[in-house]
Amino acid sequence: MQREEKQLEASVESLISRVAHVKNALHSFIYKLENEYERLTWPSVLDNFALLSGQLNTINKLLKNEKTPSFRNQVIIPLLLSPDRDEDLAKLTEQRVPVFSHEIVPDYLRTKPDPEVEEQEKQLSAEAARIGPEVAQKQIQTLNKLCSNLLEKLNNPRDDRDAESAAMRQNKPSFNPADTNALVGAVAFGKGLSKCRPPGPVAPGHPGQGPMMSGGPTLQQVTIGGGSNQQAAMGGPVPPQQQGQPGTDELEEQNQTSCLVYLEERDKCGFRLFHETHINHASEGALGVGKKGGAVCLPGAHSFHSLRKL
Amino acid sequence: MEAPPVTVMPVTGGTINMMEYLLQGSVLDQALESLLHRLRGLCDNMEPETFTDHELVYLLKGQQGNPFILRARRSLSHPTSPWHLRYLGQPEVGDKSRHSLVRNCVDVAASHSLPEFLNEMGFRMDHEFVANGHIFRKGAMKIVVTKLSRILVPGNTENTERLSLSYLGGAECVGSCRPGHCVGGHAQLC
Repeated sequence: MQREEKQLEASVESLISRVAHVKNALHSFIYKLENEYERLTWPSVLDNFALLSGQLNTINKLLKNEKTPSFRNQVIIPLLLSPDRDEDLAKLTEQRVPVFSHEIVPDYLRTKPDPEVEEQEKQLSAEAARIGPEVAQKQIQTLNKLCSNLLEKLNNPRDDRDAESAAMRQNKPSFNPADTNALVGAVAFGKGLSKCRPPGPVAPGHPGQGPMMSGGPTLQQVTIGGGSNQQAAMGGPVPPQQQGQPGTDELEEQNQTSCLVYLEERDKCGFRLFHETHINHASEGALGVGKKGGAVCLPGAHSFHSLRKL
Repeated sequence: MEAPPVTVMPVTGGTINMMEYLLQGSVLDQALESLLHRLRGLCDNMEPETFTDHELVYLLKGQQGNPFILRARRSLSHPTSPWHLRYLGQPEVGDKSRHSLVRNCVDVAASHSLPEFLNEMGFRMDHEFVANGHIFRKGAMKIVVTKLSRILVPGNTENTERLSLSYLGGAECVGSCRPGHCVGGHAQLC
């Protein structure tokens, strides 16, 4: 009798200490989850779970130990229930159970499962009784076979397995190097994306279309609108320059890119003069002014120049 | 009013030299799902974002050598967002052991009149495409998986056809220029 009592006490003591370990591990894990949420990595979460699982395992082993008396034979009966606060109890339970009253007894001294769980268990046992012993036996055997297969695969590392997985990976290629080159070329310099237009000497008639990439430098003619398009004091309104005019042929021969700019000037009498000038991008590293055909550009000239379309 | 004197001089000072570090690869369509799963796990934890962008590449041809290239990009899924104008320099050749592409980059936002402005400046649009896909983030790195589509009718972004049966994956990082220090990240693309 006494030996059993001593055993009971010892096992309860060790059980209490194991459960305290689990409680501490849970406490730190919850703290980490709630406060260090951003810094938490999956491997450390897995570590915490592994720790808890290990501790539960030791508790299981302790309970299965033959030195441990069967706790089912022990009964706990509350001797005194009072709605008053019990300081000792509060200190013992870290303020979680301050009062040993009628409300806490069903939860803390429970021996039967919850009503919902009891319902589910009843359903499961009814189901099991329904299917009959042979079917049940067959199901048990299939389950055992699956588990043993899996265990064998996990426990015996086979070299064939690496070869198998390598072969599987080779059979299903995940990228195509030609595609890589095509895509990178398309993003980097528009390979396969440039609009195909038959190359020709005449500049495209519509503004805003792409230049021809193939072949040599092509002509671009741009009008700079805005402030420089001022109305002539003497002439009619300045017609906007259109591309594709016959005058472009001469420019193409010169093979330059140029912009059309209207420069305004005042002569001695204060009359405003307008010059049509071409600004060439190439001349002497700075924007220069070139001559084209009949349009004479002489800054400071004292004569009128009529506006001409190029 | 006299025409103001125009000179061509480089703009100096006032900018930080930003370098872009880029790695690119591609995956076939059937491998896209697993790539997205892996990226979801490897990258920062956020809701996966998709994007649909229309990029136009503008060229300014001068007589001397290489044309000047500017890239203008706008979002088709957020039409009111500003345009994004980007200049990318020549790739830096140096460290052979460095796998990523390093080049100078300048990024600015622009209003919706950007194409007309570039046309007036003398740029001509060379090519355009539509890119849509997924975007992830890992620290300072931006990881994108995009599907590129060719625009069949210029200016019409509805009528597109895919360039290839693969998705282009890229990891890029923009940082300030520090010699000898590569801010490239590791992104294993399948």
